Amino acid sequence: MSADAPDELEVAEPVVTTRRRPSIVWLIPVVAAIVGAFVAWRTFSERGPEIEIQFETAEGLEAGTTQIKYKDVEVGIVEEIHLRDDLGGVHCKARMVKGFEPYLNEGTRFWVVRPRVAGGQVTGLGTLFSGSYIGVDPVRDGRRAREFAGLDTPPIVTADQPGKHFVLRSRRAGSVDVGTPVLFRKIRVGEVVASELDPSGEFVSIQVFVHAPHDARVNSGTRFWNASGVHVSLGAGGVDVQVESLASLLVGGIAFDTAADSTGPPAPDGSRFTLYENEAATRREVYTQKARYVAYFDQSVRGLQEGAPVEFRGIQIGEVRDVKLEYDAETQQFVIPVVIEIEPERIENLGMVDPVTRREGFDRLVEQGLRAQLQSGNLLTGQLVVQLDFHPTAKPAEIVWQEPYPELPTVPAALEEITASVQQLVKRLEELPLDEVMRSVNGTLESAQAALAQAEQTLASAGELVGPDSPANSELRRALLELTDAARSVGLAADQIQREPESLLFGKETQP
Amino acid sequence: MSHVRCHDCGLVSRPPAGPAHAADVRCPRCGAPLHRRKPRSLERTWAYLLAAALCYVPANMLPIMKVTSLGRTQADTILSGVSYLLLHDMWPLALVVFVASVFVPVLKIAILLGLLLSVHRGSRWRPVDRTRLYRITEAIGRWSMVDIFVVTILVALVRLGNLATVEAQTGAVFFGAVVVLTMLAAEAFDPRLIWDRSEARPA
Repeated sequence: MSADAPDELEVAEPVVTTRRRPSIVWLIPVVAAIVGAFVAWRTFSERGPEIEIQFETAEGLEAGTTQIKYKDVEVGIVEEIHLRDDLGGVHCKARMVKGFEPYLNEGTRFWVVRPRVAGGQVTGLGTLFSGSYIGVDPVRDGRRAREFAGLDTPPIVTADQPGKHFVLRSRRAGSVDVGTPVLFRKIRVGEVVASELDPSGEFVSIQVFVHAPHDARVNSGTRFWNASGVHVSLGAGGVDVQVESLASLLVGGIAFDTAADSTGPPAPDGSRFTLYENEAATRREVYTQKARYVAYFDQSVRGLQEGAPVEFRGIQIGEVRDVKLEYDAETQQFVIPVVIEIEPERIENLGMVDPVTRREGFDRLVEQGLRAQLQSGNLLTGQLVVQLDFHPTAKPAEIVWQEPYPELPTVPAALEEITASVQQLVKRLEELPLDEVMRSVNGTLESAQAALAQAEQTLASAGELVGPDSPANSELRRALLELTDAARSVGLAADQIQREPESLLFGKETQP
Repeated sequence: MSHVRCHDCGLVSRPPAGPAHAADVRCPRCGAPLHRRKPRSLERTWAYLLAAALCYVPANMLPIMKVTSLGRTQADTILSGVSYLLLHDMWPLALVVFVASVFVPVLKIAILLGLLLSVHRGSRWRPVDRTRLYRITEAIGRWSMVDIFVVTILVALVRLGNLATVEAQTGAVFFGAVVVLTMLAAEAFDPRLIWDRSEARPA
């Protein structure tokens, strides 16, 4: 070993380096990693935004299966469904496809498409086999949103339909419901999209959609009215019956028309309009300005209704808005304030439109005797109208400019009429020319006396003429006697002829 | 150092000492390459195992098949399929699918990982049991393919147009890859390494 040792020291151990290249087998995990990473990247990059939709019920919805479709193209899928904490509905978590973000805004609506029979229409039959899906009505504008409240029913109008929405305000909804047609000259041009109570509870807001191109017909001069059913009204003008088409009788409807002289630009989307009760109401209320006054009457207003006309010399200038009964504790009297609404625009060239000049004008008119008065408008129905007219003889009064309505002075109805006629009578009597009449009567009497005297004379002379010892009388008597003699001889002659007819030929035989 | 038996002809020879992988050692009789242990066994096992683990994630995340029936489409991952079967009271089937498709691949990956780590650490802990584990791994490997078979058979058979259609999805590819890779990993691992370390360093 010792001899070998130097040898071993001398012979150096060669450096054996084996360059071990990594085995080709490592390509497999590398490839797996790359493929996995690619798949992961693709899956995540294709993931669109996650949204949350709330529904009343998850009927027909299934997590992981139910799709969200727009125009039958899949744009998302429901991933999770869970109950809300208060059990008041369900949350649906859905994953939308990439690229749908711009359409997820506040106005975007979601609803469940399932078989439905409503309003005489059957929809969503296809979902009987394919299962329900969630419909979406994307809206491009508006604030971004990720949480939505699902609709219970599919919307009538989707955002991709050209046209405009308008909001109508009405006292009550009447027979107007979602889907009720909107008619223009009895042609269907739109429908009611929603009808809801105003937050104040005073009005019903009815949202209608008018399809293009008819939406251009709506401008500031357009009036909407309820065209549902039959409208019968009994007013001071008599009985008024209005029937729209049979279709609107059944399903109701809202009609609109635009005044021919109204040529403004088309109303913008979302404009507000008033929904009138009927077509007549729209004509009545073409006047936008209204001035309310109150008139206190202290006699019976039986027959005076809300809506009764306010007339000036027979021309309607407004309407009665309210009739109340008030008790004045101080004077212990009942008064009836009647609120009337005058449309100043009905009176031309009076400067009535501007409130300031209207006030001055009314002051002046009342000074000249303008008064409100109750008059019978219809003898048959006993309806009353409020008549404004000048009563120059009335007690001077003036408008009380008070809140809420200025007070117009009134004149009592019947009494005023009687006074007026008595006054007229007296006036006419005063105007009679009595002296002249008396004078001519005197003259007439005198001439009558003269005529009478003459007549007396005539009568006297006539008496003389036919008196008992007048010559005419005696002569008459004598003539009568002669006539008697003549008659007797004629009688004798006749006897003779009867006895001896030949005497006619041979004459009277002389007595032998 | 020790004798080597040729895999092909069974001749026992004595290769020269030195690093086993340094030279190209051949059988003197049939010329087959000789090696004491599977060459680069640990390295290859690691590679396959890593690849299998990588593929296992998408295999479970992605749907393996899509069933379209009467217009209703349902895409199922392995686990959703299992829960679907459980929901419909088919728990034996659910158990089979769960064991074959979820439990077995995880088990294989876990066992191989454990064996690799123990070999690296030179552990001498229960070599017999560890060898038994290895044998289990090898034996059960192929049964995981049940899922793939089911998918392929369904895809081929269920072609009823609108009534019902089954489509294979990306998840199936990854799942197949997991099964194949774990089998390869098990095959690449040399169980003799377990014994090498425990024998080489006797206490």
